[in-house]
Amino acid sequence: MADDTRRPRPSLLLSARQVRYQLVLLARSPFGLFLTLVVPLLLLVSLNLITPSNAAIVWGGHHYAQFLTPAISAFCLLNACYVTTITTIVLARENGILKRLRGTPLPAWTYLAGRSGAAVLTAVASALIIIGTGVVFFHVTIIWGALGYFAGAAGLGIVCFFLLGVAVTTVVPNTDTALPVAFGTMLPLAFISDVFFSAIHSPLWLHDLASAFPIAPVARAMEAAFNPATRSWPMPVSGLVAVLGWSIAAAVVIALAFRWEPGPVQRRSG
Amino acid sequence: MDGHAPAIEVAGLCKTYGALQAVDNVSFQVRHAEIYALLGPNGAGKTTIVEILEGHRSRTSGLVRVLGFDPATGGRRFRERIGIVLQSGGIDAELTVREVVGLYASFYARPRSAATAIEQVGLTSKRRARVRTLSGGQLRRLDLALALVGNPDLLFLDEPTTGFDPNARRDAWQMIAGLRSSGTAILLTSHYLDEVQYLADRIGVISHGHLIEEATPEGLGGRDTGGAVITFRLPAPLSGADLPTGPWDEPEHHDGEIIMRTELPTRALLELTRWAVGLGVELDGLSVVRPSLEDAYLQITAEAAAGDGDGR
Repeated sequence: MADDTRRPRPSLLLSARQVRYQLVLLARSPFGLFLTLVVPLLLLVSLNLITPSNAAIVWGGHHYAQFLTPAISAFCLLNACYVTTITTIVLARENGILKRLRGTPLPAWTYLAGRSGAAVLTAVASALIIIGTGVVFFHVTIIWGALGYFAGAAGLGIVCFFLLGVAVTTVVPNTDTALPVAFGTMLPLAFISDVFFSAIHSPLWLHDLASAFPIAPVARAMEAAFNPATRSWPMPVSGLVAVLGWSIAAAVVIALAFRWEPGPVQRRSG
Repeated sequence: MDGHAPAIEVAGLCKTYGALQAVDNVSFQVRHAEIYALLGPNGAGKTTIVEILEGHRSRTSGLVRVLGFDPATGGRRFRERIGIVLQSGGIDAELTVREVVGLYASFYARPRSAATAIEQVGLTSKRRARVRTLSGGQLRRLDLALALVGNPDLLFLDEPTTGFDPNARRDAWQMIAGLRSSGTAILLTSHYLDEVQYLADRIGVISHGHLIEEATPEGLGGRDTGGAVITFRLPAPLSGADLPTGPWDEPEHHDGEIIMRTELPTRALLELTRWAVGLGVELDGLSVVRPSLEDAYLQITAEAAAGDGDGR
């Protein structure tokens, strides 16, 4: 007979400890801190400085920073929830950390929930730094009436990018390829998805192609929330469908193929 | 807990990877408060068996019960009661010893305190050190602390003292023996046969996916009842040709030493010493040695390999 006298620890408590543990690890990783907090800030400042003043006007006369600040905030979400998730989960898997955790009573979903919590906090902190910098140094105006739209679009993005990041780890074979895969899949899409500059002059087919992936709908909605003319939820239904569709697809991949063991994909015989 | 049921019960266990039969009809039991060592050459199937018992790997067929659970479906309640020492790695390098042991303690319903687990493995002086600064032996001790901190009823120890210095090994052995005394069952895999000799109550030898022998360390390969080797030197002018006949094989001569193999060591020794005393000579370096655990293990696995070779 199995002994039933040990009552498992509350899952929420376990998730909260995982959040703390992931944040401690990030705080002690110079590379992780640089990637999640410093790189977006460098992009915000440098893109503002190098953009010619005659091309730096958006939305009927507003300064370029009014567009760029929410755009780089979207980049913060990608960095914290997609790139960092891929690199740190692959590292943990290949170093045997996931296998060791799998031998403990820590439920799998609790581990992933803890990681997602840490990704949310990192993304929010990173985006707040960007918005604060935009407001203080580049005269960006926060459209308080549209702040809910900004938060809603960011929330959808955080969930989608995190799930996609976890799903992508299933096809990353080792730590050496984690960062190239993360940036190699994210950066091209970010360039065509209005993350670094407004792509209003790009060909229609490129605009439509970007719209089929989740970055563009999230980034455009976050940017629209900083447009003083915005009066309603800025993400079109097609964009919402794309974000939710990619999220669901990623969740299915995670459920079917997430790996706890290091090394190449195992044969699943027997 | 049902004290009558074994801690581990394996019957007819099979595991295949495609056409490869990695584990073939293996059966054994491990009792509570017993240390059972699983030995075998690399690739014999030990790791597959252990990972099936830990719940890391599925089986193709056969019965497996661990602490009353099927490890494939036991889930969280099963993992509350086991501790695993992995062969390598698996610890975040930037956490301190106290942080990582504390984190793992938080996963369990009835953990030891982190301080106790750290003290048990002799890392108290390193509790504030980052994991990346630990030596190989200290990392293995931390491995052990992570396996112990959940207060497990069953421990899986995979090469638990690799990288330990001799003193640390002895301390670890005493600690492991102490866990057995307190009722913990332990499944040990190790390439250190002195460790197995010291710790194990019983041994199972795996070769090519089969359990080919199961015995106590003293009885493996019949070494407690089988032949012995008598060695000595003869004083001049005596030589091997002067030896009497007796219950031993033809003596071998090696660097002035005479080596006799006998199935009847007590009688052989009596007849040899009676002959020497009768002549009034001393047999320098006289010793009677049973085959070591390593000798017995190597012979068993060599015979198994030869048998498999003949069968092909």
